[in-house]
Parts: sequence; C-alpha cells; structure tokens
Amino acid sequence: MSREVKPIRVALAGNPNVGKTSLFNELTGSRHRVGNYAGVTVERREGDLADGLAASAKVTLLDLPGTYSLSPTSEDEALAYRVLTGEGEPAPDAVLLVVDATNLARNLYLALQLLELGRPLVVALNMVDDARALGLPSDAASLADALGVSVVATVARTGEGVSQLAAALAQAESAEHEPRLAAPGPDHVALCETLACLGGDSARARWLLTAGVAGTAAQFGATATELERLAAVDDAKARRACQELVATRYAEIEQMLVRLGSRRSDAGAPAMTRSQQIDRVLTHRALGLVIFAAVMSVVFVSIFTWAQPLMDAIEAGFGALSSSIGDALGPGMLTDLVTQGVIAGAGNVVVFVPQIALLFLFLGLLEDSGYMARAAFLMDRIMARLGLHGRAFIPLLSGYACAIPAILGTRTISSFKDRLVTILMIPYMSCSARLPIYSLVIGALFVTADEGASGDLERGGILLGMYALSTASALFVGWLYKRTILTSPTPPLVLELPPYRLPRVRNTLLIVYDRTADFVRNAGTVIVMLTIVLWGLLSFPRDQTGAGGEGPTRIAESWGGRAARTLEPALEPIGQDWRMGVGIIGSFAAREVLVGTLGLVYGMEADDDDPVELRRAIREDRDSATGKPRYTRLSGLALMVFFVYACQCMSTLSVVRRETRSWRWPAFMFVSMTALAYLAALVVYQGGRLLGYA
Amino acid sequence: MGRGPANGRSVTLLPSRRVLDRLPAPTDALLMPERTLAALSVGEAATVREVGGDGTLAVRLLEMGFVPGTSVKLVKLAPLGDPMQFEVRGYHLSLRRAEAARIRVL
Repeated sequence: MSREVKPIRVALAGNPNVGKTSLFNELTGSRHRVGNYAGVTVERREGDLADGLAASAKVTLLDLPGTYSLSPTSEDEALAYRVLTGEGEPAPDAVLLVVDATNLARNLYLALQLLELGRPLVVALNMVDDARALGLPSDAASLADALGVSVVATVARTGEGVSQLAAALAQAESAEHEPRLAAPGPDHVALCETLACLGGDSARARWLLTAGVAGTAAQFGATATELERLAAVDDAKARRACQELVATRYAEIEQMLVRLGSRRSDAGAPAMTRSQQIDRVLTHRALGLVIFAAVMSVVFVSIFTWAQPLMDAIEAGFGALSSSIGDALGPGMLTDLVTQGVIAGAGNVVVFVPQIALLFLFLGLLEDSGYMARAAFLMDRIMARLGLHGRAFIPLLSGYACAIPAILGTRTISSFKDRLVTILMIPYMSCSARLPIYSLVIGALFVTADEGASGDLERGGILLGMYALSTASALFVGWLYKRTILTSPTPPLVLELPPYRLPRVRNTLLIVYDRTADFVRNAGTVIVMLTIVLWGLLSFPRDQTGAGGEGPTRIAESWGGRAARTLEPALEPIGQDWRMGVGIIGSFAAREVLVGTLGLVYGMEADDDDPVELRRAIREDRDSATGKPRYTRLSGLALMVFFVYACQCMSTLSVVRRETRSWRWPAFMFVSMTALAYLAALVVYQGGRLLGYA
Repeated sequence: MGRGPANGRSVTLLPSRRVLDRLPAPTDALLMPERTLAALSVGEAATVREVGGDGTLAVRLLEMGFVPGTSVKLVKLAPLGDPMQFEVRGYHLSLRRAEAARIRVL
C-alpha cells in the first residue's frame, strides 16, 4: 500500500433472510476472512471491498449475524448488538443496513433503531426487483428522503446497485447524522413520563426502558445509576411505556410507507402470496410430513451413501500414500510414526470432509430456499416436548450419518444451553461408523447353520433394535439433561417463515468451504494429535524380542494391550476378553477401526472390506481351558450395546471441544457415555445369563 | 370419573335442555374475557390489544410488530397442531400456542 489510509470499518446489519450475506459476497468479491467472535463459535466474516468496485477509500466490511431489533434474544443477536453499539470493541465507522424491499413494514424497525443510535448509516434496499414485480413502493430516493440517509436500491442476486452501494460506503463516514428519535404520540403518556424518569428522551433511555422490561439491562451493561432509575419506575407502567415506544416506532414506519406510496391494497402479505401456495403442499397437514420425511431421507441417505465412494477414495489415497512413504523410508520407528500416526491421523480428518461438506451443502440450500424454517415449523411440536427448539431436529437426525457434521450443524440453535443439550444427544444417535461393528458381530455370532429367511429376519431385527435403542437413549438423555444439568425453559418459538426463494448455490458453496476448512484447521489438529497418541499406545514399548513383526505378539505387548489385559477382570462381566479390550481401545480412533484392530489381534492382514476371515476367527475362537466358544451371542449383544453408548470417537470429542470452547464437555461426554456403555453391557450380559442365555 | 356408564345415571347430573336454553348464549366476553391469538380459528383475523407479561419474549413479540392496533391473521396450523402461522405486518411468523396466548386481542 502506497498510502497509509485507515480503512473505513462498516458493519453489515439486517434482519435474517434479507440477502445480507449475498450482498456481502458481492461487495467483497467473495474474498473474506472467517474467524470467530471472542469466546463463542459464531462465525465472524470480514472482507475488503472488491477491487472491481474501486472506491475512493478503503472499506472493510463485517457481516453481522441477522437481527430483528437491538433487543437481543440469542447469542448471535447479542453479538450484532454489541458491535453496533460499540460495546466490547470499537464501534464501526458506519453501518450498512440491508432491508428487504418486499417487507419494509418490519424491516424498517431496525432502521429506526439505528437512526436513534446516530451512527453513520447507509441503507441497501435489497430485492428491489421483487418489490417492483409485486408493485410495492421501491423508490430509493423517496426512502432516502424519509429516513434522511443515503439509500441504494440493490439486487444482490444479479449484482444490481452494488457499485453504487460501494461508492456510498466510501463516503459513509461523512454521513454522520444527529440521533433521530421517533416522537411519541400525544396519547403516549406512560412513555413520556417513564423516559423523563430515566433521564430524558435519548437513545440510551429508550434502550434502558426496553432492556428493563426484557430483564436484560444489567446483562448488557446498564450503570448503577441507570439500574436505580429503572427500579424507581413501576413495573406495569414500564411495560406500558415499552409497548408505547415500540408502537411509536411502528407508527412512524406506517407514515413513511404512506409517503412512499404504499396503498391499502398492499395490506396482507403480498410477498408471501406465492409462498403460501407452495406451503399448501409443503406444510400440508399430511403431505407436508410425507415430503419432509422424503427430503430428510434424501439428505440422510446421501450423507450415508454419496459420501461413501469419496471416503473410500480418500482412505485408499491415504493408504497408498502411507505405503509409498513407508517403502521410501524403509522400516523403522520413524516410518511407523509418519505412516501410522501422522498420515493415518490426517486421513482420519480428511475422511470426514465429504460428509461435512454434503451436510452443509444441504443445510445451506434448505436454509437459503426458506425450507429450513418450515422444517422447524413442522417438527417443533415434537422437539418442544423435549424442551428444545424445532431447529434442533435436523442436526439430531444428521447424527445417524455422522456426529461430526451434526455437531457442527447445531450452530443454528441460538441458546447455548439448548445447543449443548443437542450436542450431548448427538453421539447417542447410531452413526454410520457403528454399522461395520454391528455387521461384524452379527455376521460372526448370529449366523445359524440352517441359513434361512428367519435368520435374516433375526439379524435385521437385531440391527433395527440397536438403532431403536440409540434413538430412545438420545431422546432420553436430552430430556434428562434439559431437566438436570442444563435446565432452561423451552425456548420460545418466534420463527419467521420467509418467502421461498431460489437458493444461491455460490453462497452456499462458500459457506460449505468455510465450515469444512474450519473443521480441518481446528478439530483436525486435535484429531491428528490423538491419532499419534493412540498409535503410540498400540506400538510401544518397541518389540523387545527383536522380531519386529506385526501381529498378535506386538499388539498384545503394547501399552494398550497390557492395559487391556489389566482391565480383563472388568471386561469379563460384560462378556469380553482382553482381545476385545484392545479392539475397544484401538477403536477410539474411530469405531470402525475395531474391525482392523481385531484383525491385528487375530494376526491377520486387516482388510476392512472382507472381514469374512475375521468373522470366522471370532466365531470359532475357543477358550483354551474349557474349550467353549469364547464369544457367544450374548457377549456379542453386550458388545454391540457397549458400542451403542460408548463415545468411541476422538473426532467427536475434538469437535465438541472446539464448539464448546473447553475440554469440560468432551470429558463429561466421554466419561458419562463410557460409564453408561459399561453399565448397559453389564445389564445385558449378566441379565442374559440370569435368564439362562449364554 | 368421566361420563359414567351407560346406565343413564350420570345424565341426571347435567342441567336439562330447558335450563341450558334459558341461559344467555355463550359469547366471547363471557367465555373468554381474555381472548388471545391462540383462540383464533384458521383464516380469522383479530386486532392486537396488548402483549402480556414482560421478559425478552414480550419485548420480542412487540418488536416483531404485535403492537396494539395491529391486525393479525391466523394462516394455518402446523400439521401436528402446533405451532401456529400468523400473518402480521406483511410477513409470516410462526408462534407456539403458548406464545400466541400472550398476545391479547380485541
């Protein structure tokens, strides 16, 4: 940079669903930095004005979470509020407010609140093409007159108005204006009197009144004097005053709309006409649920199956990389560390990318199209029973495919406690990585000599039983946590059902990229580290016999193997022996690794794709002392139940750490789930023996 | 408990038809002195009188446009009966019955 110019910092504010992020992408040319707000996992997207929009000054944009007003009700909205009011970090030099031209009646509310703050303001009248098509008032100049700030008509989808907007932003700093307070009406006595008690009418007094009624004044930094003044106001009167304050702003908006040329025929919700027709099908009493189930099946099945070839390819790729590096380096500890620790660890990270990317692609498209709000609308009744918001449904369901993207998907839940409850529920959902274990055990121990349809039915029934158990358990722990350690009232549902719009694929892809990159960067490092630790546990101490071979001896003599043998007395009551113990320890890398680890224990080439040999080995393994089979159907059932509950997935734990910003919750999750897994397996095995199965 | 068996005994506990007919017709004012948005039937519109209570929810409902004098229409119910979909100030908003019950109407 030749000249040191301090960039103009512009915060991008607006209601949800107004195309704010599209506009941000247009203005920044899709080049932006993604970070997090201090202490929370709300994405913070910042970017500079794109070069093509060469403005006379350097402008940096910060995309704020969508917010309906300056009285926050969620974590995201609180962040937007803090930035806009300059609390905790320096206030932006100017605010770019994006409003939906098809629904000014509600969108202008935030505009009036921002005018009260008196910060330089530029308004983007977005989706102006839709408003024109609907015959709604959409003249930027008239709105600029009414608001007293510059207004630019834009269409984020096509890029219309973006360069004018960039030019307006470059001069935004000079757009300073006096705080503009909508005047209370003559009959708003309570409001005038209360404001007088709160130190005279000002943006601050108005905020104090609202925050006082909301009960958030202390939380958002009211001073002692202010709290004292607030306490002096009678509660009922404060409520009335607050009602009058909001009414005052809406009255001002109505006047503005009349001046803009709004007609009586605009009454109702013109922007919703088409959506209402679509909703006749999509939220239809019966059809709505069927379609929802179909949509969810597509999402679910695609995460399950479309991702599979990619995941296989990634695993094969890392396998090939690992063996070629192994060949190049020759045998030795360093080689093992690189191939089985570092490369395997990196593989453990990358292998999740297809599932994460697919889930976020679907979530993004559903959100953008407006269907996500309908999904919450459809499912809220069920989730409310648990004390959760309708939005918790889809992340929970995604847990059947993989807990990692599902946990990342809980970011749409606004209350932290509810988000945590959902995060704690997700690992109980039977993810796709448990399937190889179920199929190994069922295939090894539930095969009868007389192969027939009844055998298939039984095996299918057991598999279904595992899924039912996991689902029931997830719902139960959610219900339990919501009432014990994470008590909070059921979050109210105040959910806008926005008009259906064609999703913008580019926006969604950008978000998919951001989320996936964030996972690889942050959770990935921990996963690689844990893989190395686990490799160490199963490969050290180095083989003292000097044989240097792979296989049963080595893994049995490793720290992991020794730990499993020490733990054997604890494994016996659940029908397992040290071999399964090693398998359980090894499968902490990822549950499906159990298959490979058991393969090593049984001294065979681990081949995940063809565990027929392994199945036979397990089936025919006999106790050398008694000659009885070492594993029975009952012990197999106990093992499967163990895996239903056990949090045998370090990737899940690292993602939970990342999302909750502490090791506390992953530690709680691991300990409680392992304890529960052991107890449940104990009940199954001992109960089964008491009932005479063995 | 309940309606009693089919022996007809419990019927005598109910006021006779003639008594019922002489009572004033049940009006909204009589049955629901506090009529709220939760009591609307699908397609019906009403005018907001006030939002009850305080807390962030009351403020949020006001700020979403449910100020006194606003016309609100119940568009539909979710397939499972709750939540409800309202039309207010040119857009659609979904509230549970419990939230809708905080908004009193004329």
